[in-house]
Amino acid sequence: MPVREMNELITSGLDRAVELMAVAAHNSFRFSGRNTIKIVCLAKEDMEEIAEFCYSLGDMSPLAARDGRFMVELIKEPCALMLIGDKRKSDFNYNCGACGYRTCAELNKAEETESLTARGPSCQFKNINLNIAANAAAAMAWRLGLHCRVFSTLAFAAFALNKIEGVDLATSVSVSVAKQDPYFDRHKYWTKEHWDEIFKKEFPTFTRGFIGANEDE
Amino acid sequence: MSIERSLKQFEEDRKQAVKLAARLLLASGTTSPRVGGVGECTIHIVEDECDIEDLCQKVEKMAADNKRWDFFKRDAAMLRDADAVLIITSLRCVTDPADINCNMCGKLTCEYLREAERLPDEPGVAYPGPLCIFRANNIAYAIDGIVSQARNLGIDYGVYWSAGAAAMRMGIVPKNTGFCVAVAISVTEKSPFRDIPLKYDEINETTMNDRIIKRLWPQFRSIYS
Repeated sequence: MPVREMNELITSGLDRAVELMAVAAHNSFRFSGRNTIKIVCLAKEDMEEIAEFCYSLGDMSPLAARDGRFMVELIKEPCALMLIGDKRKSDFNYNCGACGYRTCAELNKAEETESLTARGPSCQFKNINLNIAANAAAAMAWRLGLHCRVFSTLAFAAFALNKIEGVDLATSVSVSVAKQDPYFDRHKYWTKEHWDEIFKKEFPTFTRGFIGANEDE
Repeated sequence: MSIERSLKQFEEDRKQAVKLAARLLLASGTTSPRVGGVGECTIHIVEDECDIEDLCQKVEKMAADNKRWDFFKRDAAMLRDADAVLIITSLRCVTDPADINCNMCGKLTCEYLREAERLPDEPGVAYPGPLCIFRANNIAYAIDGIVSQARNLGIDYGVYWSAGAAAMRMGIVPKNTGFCVAVAISVTEKSPFRDIPLKYDEINETTMNDRIIKRLWPQFRSIYS
């Protein structure tokens, strides 16, 4: 057998891992025993598009913009983005009331609201099934030793860009085989000045020593 | 009728294994991911046999509250055979929407959801919707955290929203709970949550025991001895 290089091993291993994650998500526990989720794995060009879209949201959603900046860095090393989606209407007939309608029939007849992120109103149990699948995929990634994080921002962007068709709700599981775990402690995507400014705005009393004093500037 | 000492020991150890497993499952469910890293779910272990029975009775009673909840009776029969029940709650989905305007609930902004009228607290309504779906989705992660750990440990499990709704009605979960689901676990040779016959609420281990062993066998014994 010829010698196989590390890069080749890792990229083909990643492809295999994504397939196994899809199997785990597909066969995960779900209410009513019916699997209606849809799974796709995006190509690198799609991920670039999503990164640009997130970045362009800028002031509208600083969080999405951060994830856009992050994605630009992420796709420099082997990674994959799995999208999992489902329909919003209930086929459970549980009549549980969690959606705000007394019966599933009322929910299914309710007027649909469109937005960039999802189509609502949606069945709570559909959402639960969808996210259990996402967690099962993430759990499989964890067991396989991949770096992994579940992103709703990237899923919302993918949904807005029609990267996954025939669904009303979506979530995404991003995995990577980068040399360093890229998903946590992402300080470098914020500048220190920006961080200080936001912290001061959100927690103005943090540095106060005494509440009775008049500290108006 | 005496049971051998070693069999008694087995029964005792089995019960201890349930207690231990329930706590390990709680650990896995608690450390599963949360949207935005914000804590919101609590997990409550119901392991006392009497407490499980209370829960089952509530589930059974709720079956009559909504014509679609007929399966609650079957759920109650299964839960009766459970060794422990873990109740997972979502504490922020009613009072504290995620403020990301995701539209999953059908309200374009979280402000609209805050202002929306909630379903009244009446028998036919299980959860006080509309809920913040983005928040309540954390329950999915907690469920799968528990389920995947149960599979690793080789513990039989079943997931029931009926018991979650019953726990909310009984007031045994925190008062801000908006959504609640239960995972029942069992350490027995045959999972009580699989291979469920039709009419299980009428024909199950308890009723079979009662009719065949407790009633017919003593009669048989009286007559033929």
